[in-house]
Amino acid sequence: MCAGRLGMSTYVSSVDPPDLGMLPTFRRLLGLWREQWKLGLLGLSFAFLYTLISIVIPILIQRAIDHAIVPHNEDQLPPYLAAIGGLALLRFVINFNRRYATARIGIRIEARMRELLYQAYLRYPRAFYDRHATGQVLSRATNDLYPIRYFIGWGLVQGMQSVMMIVAAGIVLVLVDPRLTLFAAVSLPPIGFVANRFGHRVSPISRRVQARKGDVTEAADEAVVGIEMVQAFGRENDVRERFGDRAEGVRSAALDQAKVEATYVPGLYYLPALSIAAVVFFGGRAVIDGQITIGQFVLFETLLLQLVWPLEAIGWILDLAQRALASAGRSFGWLEGIEPLPEPTSPHHLAETGPLGLRFEHVSFAYGGEVDVLHDLDLVVEPGEIVAVCGSTGAGKTSLLNLLPRFYDPTGGRVLVGGVDTRDLPIAELRADVALVTQRPVLFSVPLRENLTAGREDADWDEVLAACEAAGVDAFGPNLPDGYDTLIGERGINLSGGQRQRVALARALVTRARIVVLDDPLSAVDTLTERRLVARLRPALAGRTVLVATQRLSTVAIADRAVVLRDGRIIESGRPVDLLRAGGEFATLFGDEVIAA
Amino acid sequence: MKRLWKYMEGRKGFAALMVVVGAGNAAAQTGGWLLVRNAIDKGIVPGSKGVPGAKHHLTVIVLIYLGVAAAGWVLQAKLIRGLATIGQAVVIGLRRDLFDHLTSLSLRYFSQQKAGWIIARLTSDVDAVSDVLSQGMPTLVSNVILLPAAVIALLIADWRLGLIAFVVLPPTLILSRWFQRVSHAANVEQRNRIAAVTAQIAESVAGMAVVQAFNRERRFQAEFDELNDANRAQSTYVQRIFSVFFPSIEFLGVLAMATVVYFGSGLYEDGTLTIGTLITAIYLLQLVFQPLQELSDVYGQLQSAGAAMVKIASILDEESEIHDHPGAEPLPRLDGDLEIDSVVFAYGKDPVLHGISFHLAPGACFALVGESGHGKSTLARLIGRHYDPDQGAVRADGHDLRDVQLRSYRRQLGVVLQDPFLFSGTIASNIRFAKPDATDEEVQAAAAAVGVDRVAARLSGGLDHEVREGGAGLSAGERQLISIARALLADPRILVLDEATSNIDRPTEVLIEQALDRLLKGRTSIIIAHRLSTVRRADEILVVENGQVIQRGSERELLEVDGPFRRLAHTLEGGEPELAVAG
Repeated sequence: MCAGRLGMSTYVSSVDPPDLGMLPTFRRLLGLWREQWKLGLLGLSFAFLYTLISIVIPILIQRAIDHAIVPHNEDQLPPYLAAIGGLALLRFVINFNRRYATARIGIRIEARMRELLYQAYLRYPRAFYDRHATGQVLSRATNDLYPIRYFIGWGLVQGMQSVMMIVAAGIVLVLVDPRLTLFAAVSLPPIGFVANRFGHRVSPISRRVQARKGDVTEAADEAVVGIEMVQAFGRENDVRERFGDRAEGVRSAALDQAKVEATYVPGLYYLPALSIAAVVFFGGRAVIDGQITIGQFVLFETLLLQLVWPLEAIGWILDLAQRALASAGRSFGWLEGIEPLPEPTSPHHLAETGPLGLRFEHVSFAYGGEVDVLHDLDLVVEPGEIVAVCGSTGAGKTSLLNLLPRFYDPTGGRVLVGGVDTRDLPIAELRADVALVTQRPVLFSVPLRENLTAGREDADWDEVLAACEAAGVDAFGPNLPDGYDTLIGERGINLSGGQRQRVALARALVTRARIVVLDDPLSAVDTLTERRLVARLRPALAGRTVLVATQRLSTVAIADRAVVLRDGRIIESGRPVDLLRAGGEFATLFGDEVIAA
Repeated sequence: MKRLWKYMEGRKGFAALMVVVGAGNAAAQTGGWLLVRNAIDKGIVPGSKGVPGAKHHLTVIVLIYLGVAAAGWVLQAKLIRGLATIGQAVVIGLRRDLFDHLTSLSLRYFSQQKAGWIIARLTSDVDAVSDVLSQGMPTLVSNVILLPAAVIALLIADWRLGLIAFVVLPPTLILSRWFQRVSHAANVEQRNRIAAVTAQIAESVAGMAVVQAFNRERRFQAEFDELNDANRAQSTYVQRIFSVFFPSIEFLGVLAMATVVYFGSGLYEDGTLTIGTLITAIYLLQLVFQPLQELSDVYGQLQSAGAAMVKIASILDEESEIHDHPGAEPLPRLDGDLEIDSVVFAYGKDPVLHGISFHLAPGACFALVGESGHGKSTLARLIGRHYDPDQGAVRADGHDLRDVQLRSYRRQLGVVLQDPFLFSGTIASNIRFAKPDATDEEVQAAAAAVGVDRVAARLSGGLDHEVREGGAGLSAGERQLISIARALLADPRILVLDEATSNIDRPTEVLIEQALDRLLKGRTSIIIAHRLSTVRRADEILVVENGQVIQRGSERELLEVDGPFRRLAHTLEGGEPELAVAG
C-alpha cells in the first residue's frame, strides 16, 4: 500500500504510462462495442439486408431491359418498376436504421470513454497533473475521442458492409459471365491499392497537420495570455514572426497533404473508367456475339459502379482504424496504467470530536526523481496550535503543506494526523478534516455563494457570513452586481487576486475541518487589509490546528509558534518573538521588517 | 467572403483557370457516359445485327473513352493542388493579419475578452475556414460544376428524358434545403454542448487540487455526467437527421431512374429513343444525385466556416485605441523626464484617476503607496501606454506619448508586474525575451545580479531549465526574480515596478534591493509597493487615494506630520507590538 521509496523510473511511469498496444486496445474497444451488442446486431443485420437489396435492384433492371424493353413487351415493365420502387423504399428504411443504429453505438462509446476518463481524472494524484499539461489532459477527453467514435460508429459496420457488397456483387457477376467478370475486375486491384496507399500516406501527414495546428495554438495562447509583457517590452514583431513561422508550418503541411490527395484521389475517381472501358470493349463484343444480353451488359456496369465506393471506403476505414486504435491506446494507457492514490486496505478512523494534532516523522520527499525537497523532517503540532512555516523561496514550505491532504505521499517517513498515518485514513475522511487554501487560489465558475460553501454544502448561511467577515469577503461580496449570488469566473465576474484569496480563505473557514492548511493565504492582499484580517482570523481559527506558510511577518502574527525551513529541514522553532530576539534565520527573514516600523 | 477575396489579390487569374479546369473535369466525367451511349448505339446494337465494322467502331470508342478519362484524371489532380494552394494562401494571410491585428490591440480589449475566446478565433475558427478552403473547395467546385454538367449531358442525350429528370429535382432540392436548415441548427446546438463539456473538464483539471482537497469529486462527476449526457443526446439527434437525409437522396435517385426507365421504354417502343440513350440516362442520373450528397456534406463545413468568419471579422473590425498617430515620430534615447499632467482615466463610467499630476526629473525615483484599488496600477499602465488618458497627458522628455511611435517608447521602458507571465522555453530564454540579441554572458550577468542563478542552481539544467506554460513548477517568488532579471537585461530608461517584490521572502528581497540599487541608478523609476523598506529608497513618496495624490514628500517629511502616510506606515510595518500579543 505504501508508496515507499520510488525510483525515478517507477515514479514517472506511474503517472506517465506507455500507450497500450494495438491488440489489447482492440480487445478493449471490442469489449465496449459488445456492451452495445443489441444495436450492433441490429446494424449488422440491416447492413446485410441493405447489401442484398442493393444487388437485387440492378438485377431487376437487367430483367426489365431484357424481358420488357428490348423485346417490346410494354405491359411487362410496370411489375418490374413497382418491385424496384418497393425495394428502394424498403432500402430507405433499412439504410436509415443501419446508419442510426451504428452512429448511436459510436456516440455512446465516445460518451462512455469520456466518462471513464473524467472519473479517472478526478482520482488521479497531483503528480499526474505535474507531469501533463492541461491542454493534453483536456484533448484526450475531447478531440482524441473523435476517431474512436467514427471508427466504431461508422467504420466498423461500413467495413463489413463493404466486404459483403464486394462478395455479393462478385458472386452475381461470376454467375452471369465469369470471363467478363475477370476483365471487369481489372480496375479493382489498383483501386484497392490506391485507396490503401492513400490511407497510409495521408494519415501521417494529416497527423502532422494536426501537430502543426497545435503549435499555432501554443503560440497564440502564449501571446494572448502574455500580451501585457509582449507589449510592455515592445516585442510584438518577435511574437508575430514566431506565430508566422508556425502558421507557415501549417500551410506547408496542408500543401503536402493536398499533394498526396492530388496524387491519389483522382485515381479513385477515374480508375473505375478502366473497368467500364473493359466491359464496353469485351462485354460489347460478347453482346455482338450473342454470349450475353444487353441487360446483362448494363448489370455489369451498374454493379461495378456500385463497388467503387465500398472499395474506397475500405481504404478510409483502415486509416481510421489506425488512428482510432492509437487514440484509444493512449486513453487506455492512462486508464489502466495510472494508479489513483491508494486507499487503505484496512482503514483507521479519526476521533469523532476534539482538535487533532499533527506529527511529521522523519519525513523525506522528492518530486518525481528529482533531489529531495524535504530531508528527514520532524515536526509536531499540538492539537489547536497555530504554526507558521517560514523560509525563503524554494525551502520546501508548499511541499510540506501538500503532504497533509495527501496530494503527495512522503517518499520516506510518515505523516500522522490525530495519531493516525494519513495513508491509513480513507482519503475522503482525511480531506474532509483538512481545509486548504492554495497559493494560487482556485475558484469555480459558479456563484460566489456556491464557491463559499464548496467545502460544506449544508452550511448555515450565518456561519458562512461569519467566515466571510473573518476572511474579509464582507468588504466586497455584498457590493458585487448580484451580491453573493454573483457568478464568478470565465463567464462571470473576474475577482482580483486579493479578493480570490479571501474567498478561498472563507471557503476553508466554512468547512468543519479541524485542520487548516494555509499556503501564503494573504500574499496578494494589501498590507492594510492583511492587518485587519490577521486580527479577525485568530479567533475564527480557534480550536483548529493550523499550518500557515508565509513570507510576511504580519501573517506570522496569527501563529503561536513559528518554524523555519531551510533546504528541507527545520532549523528553528519557537515563539516568533523569541525567534526574532535569538537573531537566527528567522530574524534574517523578518528582522528588518520590524526595525522598519 | 469579401475579406477573403482580398487575400486572392494576384491570384484571381489562377482562380479563374481553376474554374476552367473544374469545368473540363466535369465534362470528362459526363462526356464519358455519352461515349458509352455511342458505343452501344453505334457499336454493340448494330454489331449484334451483323453490321460490319461495328466491332471496329467499338474499339475506337473505347480508346477515346480511355483518353477522356486520362485527361479527367490529370485535370482533377491539377484542380486539387491548385485549389489547395489558393486556399492556403488565403488562410495564412488571414491568420497573420488576425494575429498582427490582435497584438496591436490595447490591453482594454484583452481585459474585456476572455483569453480562451480570443485564442479560439486564431485557431479553431481559422482552421474551420482552412478546412473549407483546402478540403471542401475541390469537392465544392467540382460538384457545383458537375451538377449542371450532368443535367446538360442528360438533355443532350435526349431532351425529353432530361425533362423527366427535372420532375424529381424539386423534391430533392426541397429535401436538401430542409436538411441544411435543420442540420445547421442542430450542429450549432451540438457545438454549444460539446463546448460546455470541454469547459467543465478544463475547469476541473485546472482546479483539481481544490476539487480533491474539498472532496468535490462526486459533485463534479454529477455535473459532468449531466453535460456529457446532454451532448450525447444532441449528437444522437444530429445523427438521426443525417441518417434520414442520405438514404432519402438514395431513394429519390432510384425513383428518378424508375421514372426515366418507364417513360424511356415508351419512347423506345415508338422508336424515337435508342437503347443506348436509355442506358446512359440511368448512369447520368447517378451523376446528378452523387453531387447532391457530397454538397450537403460540404455545406456543413461551409456553415461553420461562415460562422467562424463572422467571429474573426469581429476581431479584425476592432479598432486599436492605442496606435501610432499619423506623423508619430520615433523617440530618441530618453533622458528619462516623465510628467503626469492632470490625468483623468476611467475603465468604464467611473473615473479611476481624477486629474492626477506629478513630475519626475531624469533619474528620479518615486514611490506610490496606498491601498489596493485606488489607481496605482492603472497609473503604471498609463505610463506603459497600455491605455491613453481620457484627459490630460503623460509625457516623456516633454513628448506626449500619443505623439510618438509606440515601439520606440516601449523599447525604453521596463515593467515588472506582480504576477509575472513566463513564456514556455528555458529560464534563459525568458530573461532574453526583453533583448533577443543579448549574449549568453549578458543573460548570465542579469540572472546573477538578481539571484536567479541561485534559484536556477536548484533546478535541473540551471538557466536552461525548461519552464512550462505560464511558469508552472516555479514558485511565485522564483517567477518574480526571473521577470526582474528580464527587466534588468532590457536596460530601460524608465522603469515601473508594480508590487514587484510582494511574493518574495525577505532575504531574497534584500538581494533584489541590492540589485535594484544598480538597476535604478540613472533611470527614472516608479515603484508601487507595500513594504516600507522598498519604498524608502524613493526620492519622493506619493500617497494615492481615490485616484488622487493626497500627500507627497520624502519619507522623513511624511513621517513627521500626522497624515495619511504615517497611518499607512503604522499598518504597513506594524511589527512588534501586535506580534507580542500573538506570541
